[in-house]
Amino acid sequence: MSTPISYFLVVSAMLFSIGTIGVLVRKNALIIFMSVELQLNAVNLSLVAFSRMHNELDGQVLAFFSMVVAAAEVVVGLAIIVTVYRRRRSASVDDLTVLRG
Amino acid sequence: MLDLIWLVPALPLAGAAVNLLLGRRLGKAAGRLATALVALAFAVSVGALLDLLAHGSEERVHVTRLFDWISAGSFSVDVAFLVDPLSITMALVVTGVGALIHLYAIGYMDNDPRIGTFFAYLNLFVFFMLVLVLADNYLLLFVGWEGVGLCSYLLIGFWYERPTAASAATKAFVTTRIGDAGMLLGIVLIFVHVGSLDFGVVFDEAAGELTQGAATAISLLLLAGAIGKSAQLPLHVWLPDAMEGPTPVSALIHAATMVTAGVYLVIRSHVLFEVSGTALTVVLVIGLISALYAALASIGQFDIKRALAYSTMSQIGFMFFAAGMGFYTGAMLLLVCHAFYKALLFLTAGNVLHGLHDETDMRRMGGLRADMPVSTVWFAIGALSLAGIPPLAGFFAKDHIVGFASTSGRDLAWILATIGAFLSALYIARPLFLTFFGRRRNEERAHEAPGPMQAPLAALALLTVVGGLVLGVTPETGRLAVFLEPVVGAVEHGEGALRDGALIAISVVVAVAAVIVAYWIWASERVNWQAFPERQPELAGWLANAFYLNALYAWLVQFPGKGLGRALRVVDERVIDGAVNGVADEVEDASHLAPAIQRGFVRTYALAFLLGAVALLLFLGLRIV
Amino acid sequence: MSAEELVFWVFAPISVGSAIAMLLQRNAVHAALFLVVNFFTISVFYLVLGASFLFAVQIIVYAGAIMVLFLFVIMLLGVDREESLLERLRGQRVLGVALGVGIALELIVAIRAGVGFATHAPANFDEVANRGGNAVAISAVLFRRYFFPFEVTSILLIVAAIAVVVLASRQGSIAASTPEDRAADAEAA
Repeated sequence: MSTPISYFLVVSAMLFSIGTIGVLVRKNALIIFMSVELQLNAVNLSLVAFSRMHNELDGQVLAFFSMVVAAAEVVVGLAIIVTVYRRRRSASVDDLTVLRG
Repeated sequence: MLDLIWLVPALPLAGAAVNLLLGRRLGKAAGRLATALVALAFAVSVGALLDLLAHGSEERVHVTRLFDWISAGSFSVDVAFLVDPLSITMALVVTGVGALIHLYAIGYMDNDPRIGTFFAYLNLFVFFMLVLVLADNYLLLFVGWEGVGLCSYLLIGFWYERPTAASAATKAFVTTRIGDAGMLLGIVLIFVHVGSLDFGVVFDEAAGELTQGAATAISLLLLAGAIGKSAQLPLHVWLPDAMEGPTPVSALIHAATMVTAGVYLVIRSHVLFEVSGTALTVVLVIGLISALYAALASIGQFDIKRALAYSTMSQIGFMFFAAGMGFYTGAMLLLVCHAFYKALLFLTAGNVLHGLHDETDMRRMGGLRADMPVSTVWFAIGALSLAGIPPLAGFFAKDHIVGFASTSGRDLAWILATIGAFLSALYIARPLFLTFFGRRRNEERAHEAPGPMQAPLAALALLTVVGGLVLGVTPETGRLAVFLEPVVGAVEHGEGALRDGALIAISVVVAVAAVIVAYWIWASERVNWQAFPERQPELAGWLANAFYLNALYAWLVQFPGKGLGRALRVVDERVIDGAVNGVADEVEDASHLAPAIQRGFVRTYALAFLLGAVALLLFLGLRIV
Repeated sequence: MSAEELVFWVFAPISVGSAIAMLLQRNAVHAALFLVVNFFTISVFYLVLGASFLFAVQIIVYAGAIMVLFLFVIMLLGVDREESLLERLRGQRVLGVALGVGIALELIVAIRAGVGFATHAPANFDEVANRGGNAVAISAVLFRRYFFPFEVTSILLIVAAIAVVVLASRQGSIAASTPEDRAADAEAA
């Protein structure tokens, strides 16, 4: 492969930071959730890149498990969002301030 | 007996302690106990005097050390009592006249509920006064000095429910404090220059070691204290107001003893004053001016006790005048005789107050000769003595001093002193005639004081009559002068412009003339003295208000005082309160920031996480790089 | 430029661009669609990196299942209406972007320090790791070395499914606990 591995890692880093910004800046719970998924994907990408670098498949297997868990997590998270939306009639994270001190 | 001299202050101290603790239970017995103790102290003093006389005249100095008081490096002071002619004279006057006044007070304060406390204070005063006169070093003297100031405050304000009494007491304390501050500086300077505070050491060193400038500074500072305590210009304003206290207090403290403490200090420190020279002149000038000022002020007073207060100030002015001329024995003779007749005058005034139920205004007296014949005699003896009618004691004392002014070449001073003598006779004959002679202006029948109260007055009257003849017929050879010679030096007979005989004649003529004038104005009904305030309101005002010095002082103190008060209030409100409240406000504002951390917004929390993560990564990254 | 390089340089900008675009969308559906694009590009990356199995799984699971689920929920709840642009928390946007950029920079620095910008992957990946093809090789690793985690994740999936069923069914049988909930229920009824 002629592209250096670090290029993929840099892309992964950029995607991860974009996801981070999304978590902090957006108010819609679903979009925040999507940003988290973006972060997970970025990490998966870096796992696979490292796996290629080390000439082993462990990284790919890890990425696979990450996807499985992400799927489960998305299911539960969306269920929670739906439940909250049903009660509060709002999907904005800023309206969920019950835990204020 | 000389070694037992510590008993002399200790006995009244014991009396004070007992009366303070048990006074309420003792009641009248408190007075008897107090009087007995002071009389006992007098007896011990007489014993000490006899012991002293047994020595040759050059050896009459005895120091009794009690214990080491302060020992700090190069500074050491003992509690020690000095018995020499000067101190024993003072001690005898304090205990003797003091005992008589105590005796009088038993009757005078008979109905007062706090009689026990009164005698406790009175004994305490005698204790401190004795410490003052018997001290053998400046620091112990200062202890006594401050102590008598305290007792004066307690006794002036004895009837503390009266606001005038309370404020008079405070005024006395504060005014004398001003002088005391100067005196303390003087004492410090003595130590700085001489290295010790013992009289013996200081006076031996002074002549050789002290520069004139240092001696002047020290003397003037000590003089400041003397001026305050002896109520001379300009720190005299407390004395007339001090008459708020009970009359025995006025007699003891403000006539016979405490106010003479300043004279004693000057005479005791005369070596220092003489090295300075300038300081002695200052003493002379202050004495003379105070004497004349107070004489005029006394003529304008209608309150009998205030008239006597200004009279005291004037007489002490004469004592300072004498000391300022170097005529210490003359000052001491006047001091002793003045104690006799001023106590007599005050206590007789006490009789009048007692008889008229505390009326002090002489405009409402008059013709009391009929009701109180005995008191009339006492007052007449005292007044004529002060006026300088021979052969009463006051004649000798006054004449010596006035004559000395002339024989020492101070002609201007002699003229002023003679004028002062005329005014003295005038101002003391005035209350005599206003109170006891003339038409009766009070409907009340005054009753004479009972026997036990008259006994001390009889003793004082006797002393007034014979005192001069016994103690000092001539300035140079009088018994007192000779007795005091080892301490203060001999008196030399100078030659002035006038011969001795002429001086005496002028003295007597002046005195007699003044008495006759006083009779004519105030007792003979030929002069309408009551209309004087209306006809000459300004002059009357000046005299009655003692030349408005009180008002001047009040004004002088008021402006800076109020200004300072206002400034400090601003500081207190804006700066101090501002700082404190400001801190509280800042904390409150800061506390509003704190909840921001926990508003409940998830995104804020997420931001916090990220902040931590970034910081951590930064830290780790920097270590790698 | 080799084929791999070309593919990389085409899809990398698309990847980052779609991510940024997803971030900037006000409409949730549009954002979801941009995310799908991103997932596709990532799957291409997987392919380039020799993970053909993951390439397929990414498309099937992520783009095909997860994002579809997202879109279901978005449209079910009707939250596709525009999100307001007003930011109520002061400094949140600025700090968020700044910190995000900071993270990126730190990661890049870490990459440079750890891996180095010039490191190439070994060329013999297909012979060593991917013997018999990627799927065969992965299954060999997955069902042998990682068998236990495999079983555990399957339990995880079952648990997740049960949880969702419980969560979704509780809503009707329990009385609403807060006034807002009661209002919401009244409105829903």
